[in-house]
Amino acid sequence: MVGMGQIVSGGSPQQMKAIVGSCIALALHHPRLNKGVMAHIVLPDSAGRPGAPGKFADTAIPRMLELFKELGVPAHSLTAKLAGGANMFANSGPLQIGDANTRAVAQALRTAGIRIMAQDVGGTRGRRVTFDCADGEMIIESAGQPKKTL
Amino acid sequence: MIEIDTENAKALAGLQELFASATHDASASMCRWTDGIITVTLDEVRQIPLEEVSTELAVGDEMLTMVVMTLDGGLGGSMILMFDELNGRQLAASLLGQAVGIQPDWSELERSALMETGNILGCAYVNALTRLIGTDLRPSAPHFIQDFGVSVLQQALMTQAVVSDSLLLCEIGFHRKGERLDWRVVFVPTPELQASLQRSLHAAP
Repeated sequence: MVGMGQIVSGGSPQQMKAIVGSCIALALHHPRLNKGVMAHIVLPDSAGRPGAPGKFADTAIPRMLELFKELGVPAHSLTAKLAGGANMFANSGPLQIGDANTRAVAQALRTAGIRIMAQDVGGTRGRRVTFDCADGEMIIESAGQPKKTL
Repeated sequence: MIEIDTENAKALAGLQELFASATHDASASMCRWTDGIITVTLDEVRQIPLEEVSTELAVGDEMLTMVVMTLDGGLGGSMILMFDELNGRQLAASLLGQAVGIQPDWSELERSALMETGNILGCAYVNALTRLIGTDLRPSAPHFIQDFGVSVLQQALMTQAVVSDSLLLCEIGFHRKGERLDWRVVFVPTPELQASLQRSLHAAP
């Protein structure tokens, strides 16, 4: 399980899981080498604040790329899948950050030159996300919805 | 946000005392609402590292039935009343004086019974905290949510996550005739409300 603000790396046949609401589960995958890194991103922008790199979109992606380097995986050919960014209290309640998180992750991926292969974002529901390092599949389970595979 | 570590463990003890007092009032309201069957006790006021929230709270990855209330205005917070499916259904049935529902979708009456429970509990807390800090707190209408408990907690914890990697929350447990029930309330104060609570503690004689 990848907790809030954490980043986990692995390879086939490992699976990684996260449960997200307004947070983003971001999985980067190298399709030929079957290696993957998953981050559970909480907030869009570190703005110089201290904290684990995985907590913020702008610091998580550079750290994920470092982890790929440590695994001996080149940064080119990486693909991204993401899920989350919901507004859990349907536009009321504290700090509705889901949309901002989604935009910030997309921007950070563009900056890093990584293509988004698929995403399941927004809405008002939480998501249970399972990422498979073997084939890069991301399975999304959400209350009252059929299971999706990205 | 006020950091509560070993250096100022006294502050955490003060908050524990303050929430215990609010819980006493909430328990009295809950007892009246359930004809003397259910009481409420404060389990703990504690700090949890951001990445350990789901494991420390043992929320798991299952769907839960929840009633969420937020505090609007300058000082905010969230209160989440959490049940698994069976326990939520049992509470609704006992309040409505009917058999436990077996339809997959909850009826409007069942939802209302749980929302009213959240409302009564939430208002009791808000009233107690308002008296303690001398500032009006405005509770939102209760929302009925069936979702992953962790997803809902994440949203409630966002205001604290912005300023800290360590999250403060208050856990409350339920008892039926002295026996512990598998229901719980998690109250998450915003950093602003935490600061206000701390000021009122320092100002107390």
